[in-house]
Amino acid sequence: MTQAIVVEGLRKKFGTREVLHGVDFAVERGTVFGVIGPNGAGKTTTMRCLLDIIRPSAGTISVLGQNPQRAGTALRRRIGYLPGEVQLENRTTGRRMLEHFAAISGPVEPRHVNELAERLNLDLDRQTRKLSKGNKQKLGLLQAFMHRPELLVLDEPTSGLDPLVQQVFHSMVREAVDHGATVFLSSHVLSEVQQAADAVAILRDGEIITVSTVEKLRTAAVRQLRFNSTGTAANDVGALLARVPGVANVAVRELPADGHATGTVEATATLSGKVQPLVQALARLDLTDLVLEEPDLEEAVLTLYTGSTPDQPANGSQRRAAHSEGAHRA
Amino acid sequence: MPRILPLFIKALTDSWRSTLAWALGLTAAIMLYLPLYPSIGGNSQMQDLINALPPEMTKALNYDQIATGPGYTQATLFGLVGFLLMSMASVGWGAAAVGGDEESGLLELTLAHSVTRVQVVVERALAIIVRVAFLSVLVFVLVLLLNGPAELGIDVGHLVGAVLLFAALALLSGTAALCAGALTGRKVYAVAAGAAVAVLGYVFNAVGRQSPDVEWLLNLSPYHWAYGNSPVANGADWGAAAGLYGISAALIALGAVALQRRDVGV
Repeated sequence: MTQAIVVEGLRKKFGTREVLHGVDFAVERGTVFGVIGPNGAGKTTTMRCLLDIIRPSAGTISVLGQNPQRAGTALRRRIGYLPGEVQLENRTTGRRMLEHFAAISGPVEPRHVNELAERLNLDLDRQTRKLSKGNKQKLGLLQAFMHRPELLVLDEPTSGLDPLVQQVFHSMVREAVDHGATVFLSSHVLSEVQQAADAVAILRDGEIITVSTVEKLRTAAVRQLRFNSTGTAANDVGALLARVPGVANVAVRELPADGHATGTVEATATLSGKVQPLVQALARLDLTDLVLEEPDLEEAVLTLYTGSTPDQPANGSQRRAAHSEGAHRA
Repeated sequence: MPRILPLFIKALTDSWRSTLAWALGLTAAIMLYLPLYPSIGGNSQMQDLINALPPEMTKALNYDQIATGPGYTQATLFGLVGFLLMSMASVGWGAAAVGGDEESGLLELTLAHSVTRVQVVVERALAIIVRVAFLSVLVFVLVLLLNGPAELGIDVGHLVGAVLLFAALALLSGTAALCAGALTGRKVYAVAAGAAVAVLGYVFNAVGRQSPDVEWLLNLSPYHWAYGNSPVANGADWGAAAGLYGISAALIALGAVALQRRDVGV
């Protein structure tokens, strides 16, 4: 048994509305599998089917080699689940809540609970109703991880977490995988998952559009390129760029003299594929500034989906703005 | 360290505050009503006053029997204030057990752990039974304590039967709420079902007693099944008690089957 989850032809209807139209995917044991899609794509419904919280209308599901609907309680003991919206009881503390979940899903080492709480910087003795959204999310993560399950099913695990805690979460995922666990997680944005996931499925409107590795997506990804150079005419810069494989959408202009060295040329373009040919070409220029952004994997996904490069100006500007924080400056 | 009946124990420990509050309410009601019997029920002036009331009203309130200690206890405590408080407590617990828990999003996480749905319904129903039993025993003890001082003259055997029916009636509206919650996943339907059993039972009894034309309504009233023969005065109708507990058991079973078969949290 090398696959932790196998889903075939999964369909789910609520009344007359079908929200999953035949979803197929498999998750290898000991890997992290991310499912990405906009809100309402069917991520939560898929996950609930794995836990037997809701039942498929058609299709087969195998979780750790068993049918979740027939396997009963022993199977769920081997799974850690984080719901998409963590709801907690009001009149209790985190510790008492975890003790209850340990009682129905244990065994749990108390030492492990304290250790995780410390790493997540979570006070278990506070009243749950006084916890912030992020702290509730931490408590939800803790109950999913605390019994060291073989399979973790995490719905939007990083939602509400600040970046530092997200790093803690990613290290918890890595450790779980190092100990042989399988992780199935979801997000509505790829950038949250790309760090953790080995493979990524894109779910849209109840269908899996593509399953790919982050590495493949990265190769197919489109990067934004921008640089300034001096001493070369705008036309020549344009011609140079045009010869580099993978470069497109080239725009070159000469900058006005104020504030820049005379003859400064600014060029923007997109790059898909390998970086090395571009670097070789740029080495011939006298660069004063260079920005090559993190590949935008969401655009990469769209590229795979539509089979063509998405229109650059339309809709791209917002995403690019969001990504420019992580841009590499050379 | 798997514990025995973890959901049952949690349901009980989570609700100790509300159980205590209902216990205080019942105690206050008993302490206010029963000691007044010598000056109300046994008082001839009071009887004249009641005779002056419209007979429809005295029948609806069961005040036609308050001239005796057992009749007074039956009409005021078991038939009215106690019935009201117990029904409210039981419906509240029944509605929270599945419907309320699901609607607040908590049930999803519980079911993702190593429990079965039947277990959830049965253990939580058991917790309702224990709480209803606790309050009923409290009522029994308090009435017994006041029996002498308040000159009620209640036969202890009859009191046992009456308290068993009192508990059965409260449990019926609680399990109706539990069952409706398990069927629909909505707290409001659960409360509506539980309240309907209690309120319609009371109303059908009050109306059915008015004239032979509407007497058939009595057959639809669990309240009348339990109290039709004034158990505090005359002893329990054991068939009715068995029937009421049987229906509650069936409602719990139906709730368990319903929850087992449907999607949760949608």
